[in-house]
Amino acid sequence: MMILVVGGSGSGKSSYAEKTAVSLAQSGMKKYYLATMQVFDDEGRKKVDRHRNLRNGKGFFTIEQPTRISGALEKMEDGDRTVLLECISNLTANEMFSEEQAVTEMQVTDNVIRDIKMLKDQTNHLIVVSNNVFEDGITYDDATTKYIQAMGKINQKLAALADRIVEVVAGIPVIFK
Amino acid sequence: MESVKKMKLVIGGTAQGKLEYVLLKHDVQKNMVWDGVLPNDRELNGNIVIINHLHQWIKNCMVSGGCPEDEIMSFLDCNEDCIIICDEIGNGIVPIDPFEREYRERTGRILVQLAMRAEEVERIICGIGQKIK
Repeated sequence: MMILVVGGSGSGKSSYAEKTAVSLAQSGMKKYYLATMQVFDDEGRKKVDRHRNLRNGKGFFTIEQPTRISGALEKMEDGDRTVLLECISNLTANEMFSEEQAVTEMQVTDNVIRDIKMLKDQTNHLIVVSNNVFEDGITYDDATTKYIQAMGKINQKLAALADRIVEVVAGIPVIFK
Repeated sequence: MESVKKMKLVIGGTAQGKLEYVLLKHDVQKNMVWDGVLPNDRELNGNIVIINHLHQWIKNCMVSGGCPEDEIMSFLDCNEDCIIICDEIGNGIVPIDPFEREYRERTGRILVQLAMRAEEVERIICGIGQKIK
């Protein structure tokens, strides 16, 4: 089963996604957490620590995979697995802006979706966390606009792949599909 | 002391008609609407109170060095019978400015806490309420 979890900043989407992953993984099934955030400063470190604490004791094995997310499969053991990927907004930014030349939104969309299809095919349960970055009404610079476009396309394609879509609003799950 | 759950939370994007929705639905006097501030205890006289634009109060509280998480919960301990209206501000690009980033994040987490405590949570879109709790 694939579940797409979306929400805004501080919406409680991570916490919900973790609970969902834990409840889906039958006993004996390996649980992997795919972390995409690159840490550059204290604030990033604190964010990572906060998420680590949230996951603490829930039995997740963490794989740091800031780009080319399907590469995480090579780091997993064989057998049944539940995978929690957090999050599409970081992954998309990393894929788009890591190289000297920004990758186009079409290319980024194709890369991310191809990788996630691979993950989906090779996991029992896949939970993907994505962000709602679409509703602040601000006109941004060209690069950010392209990023938002890519995020929009990726979210739509993920929604088509997912068996269930949940928006987390103030910690409350609202089921869309 | 176990608190009686009476608080209602109303959230949504800006300019979605949240206050109008609340005023139509509930029999509350207009003078019981507090805009971006929390009333002092003695001003209530047992009336249901509406706190509008909670996000603005959160921001002001942060600017003045307060702790909005603690202060709103202390307020509710004394005034559970209220309706809190707050914009959802987290659905956008993460701001470059560190204060703005923190403000969004903390507002989101405060809403999660308030939603847990509320007896009812409604999300307003185009003036229409969607009951999510």
